[in-house]
Amino acid sequence: MSILEYNGAAMIAMAGDECIAIAADRRLGVQYQTVSCEFQKLFQINDKTFVGLAGLATDVQTVAQTLKFRNDLYELREDRKMTPKVFSSQLSALLYEKRFGPFFVEPIVAGLDASNKPYLSGMDLIGAPCFPDDYVVSGTCTANLHGMCETLYRPGLGPDELFETISQALLAGVDRDALSGWGAIVHVITKDGVTTRELKGRMD
Amino acid sequence: SDTTSNPRVQEQMARRYDSSTTTFSPEGRLHQVEYAIEAINNAGTCVGILSKSGIVLASERRVTSGLLAPAKTSDKTYKLANHAACCVAGLTADANILIDQSRLRSGRYQHQYCEPIPIEQLVEHVCNYKQSYTQYGGLRPFGVSFLFAGYDDVHGYQLYQSDPSGNYSGWKATVIGANNSAGKSLLKNEYDPDGDGTMPDMATALKLAVKVLNKTMDSATTSTSAEKMELFTMTRDAGGECVHKILTKSEVQRFVDEVAAEAEASGSGGAGESTQ
Repeated sequence: MSILEYNGAAMIAMAGDECIAIAADRRLGVQYQTVSCEFQKLFQINDKTFVGLAGLATDVQTVAQTLKFRNDLYELREDRKMTPKVFSSQLSALLYEKRFGPFFVEPIVAGLDASNKPYLSGMDLIGAPCFPDDYVVSGTCTANLHGMCETLYRPGLGPDELFETISQALLAGVDRDALSGWGAIVHVITKDGVTTRELKGRMD
Repeated sequence: SDTTSNPRVQEQMARRYDSSTTTFSPEGRLHQVEYAIEAINNAGTCVGILSKSGIVLASERRVTSGLLAPAKTSDKTYKLANHAACCVAGLTADANILIDQSRLRSGRYQHQYCEPIPIEQLVEHVCNYKQSYTQYGGLRPFGVSFLFAGYDDVHGYQLYQSDPSGNYSGWKATVIGANNSAGKSLLKNEYDPDGDGTMPDMATALKLAVKVLNKTMDSATTSTSAEKMELFTMTRDAGGECVHKILTKSEVQRFVDEVAAEAEASGSGGAGESTQ
């Protein structure tokens, strides 16, 4: 059993036309036993930046709190909001600081930069980042999610189409994974704001 | 004859005990700390006033040279957390250290308890830090006084004053910096004129702050330029989140004009002001 598979998770972030979507399941389990269907794995950092944390639940929460601390300090000291790129760099540095005793989380970062251009990044538990321009995935069923995203994704989708695409990819991806699913939540971010929707999926 | 009552002799004796913070004088005083407090009486004035629906922090902007680049936000008022702010009188360099300390403390508290730090705890932390520079050797005290303004669910809106000794106290209204005694006497008469414990509303508090600054900045004229005043308010929005606002020049001007108009209407410029 891998420690990264102890609690279960599935998440995707996708880039569209001046918009991004980030989606995650809501299951919290203790190996095979499901404990909650309302566990939060997506966290809003500011108007235009979201982070998704997949992995060991205690580290998901601790890293989220630490990121909030660091973001608040940045905003107080620099009197400006963090861009997704800077946030991602900071998260990568945070994870590498614990190189020999890491946080068991594999995050994805999604946001819009100053000119509302989409930004995506994903990294491993010690902070090695990648910066694709289509989609990123993380969790216990990444093979499924990659397969769905490669098939369904098209560049330049608007907010509504992007929502449909990411939702179908996530729902289909989690159905063949026992450790993820049990509810899903999607945030779509455009320059005008954030729209949040809960998905109705199989609760098994 | 008794030489210690002679001020000249006292002064000379003080000199033996004033070079180190960690030494009491024979009269039981810490001269270094007192000298630090004196330094602040030369700094730009800050006024703090508690109102029914928030807190006003008003500061004198001292521009030492026309060539100075304008401050990007403020060099008097600083945000410490979502629910706390402060204004500074004294050495800005010293203040920057303490402001960063308080921001870190506030962040660490939030990280640990997932709750905003109660204001008194934040103030006490900064003050304990200041105090340690008056007791452990080799370091001089911070030459800064603060007015802390904040809101928490425990005690609502609060205003605190702290000085280089690390002492702090809670106030309904107070003044620090240059001419603070003149400002405080004005507040004593005008903050709660009926003495019935009612707090002013925000507009009244802002006007009172302007009046105090008029008095402390240059008591020979009835009003001073709005450019030299910085007015900051902390209130809460409908969702309960604190709102920090530094008033725009035109908003400040409005209050300066209202105060001037009221002064004219009442015939005199207020207690203690001479007119040409």
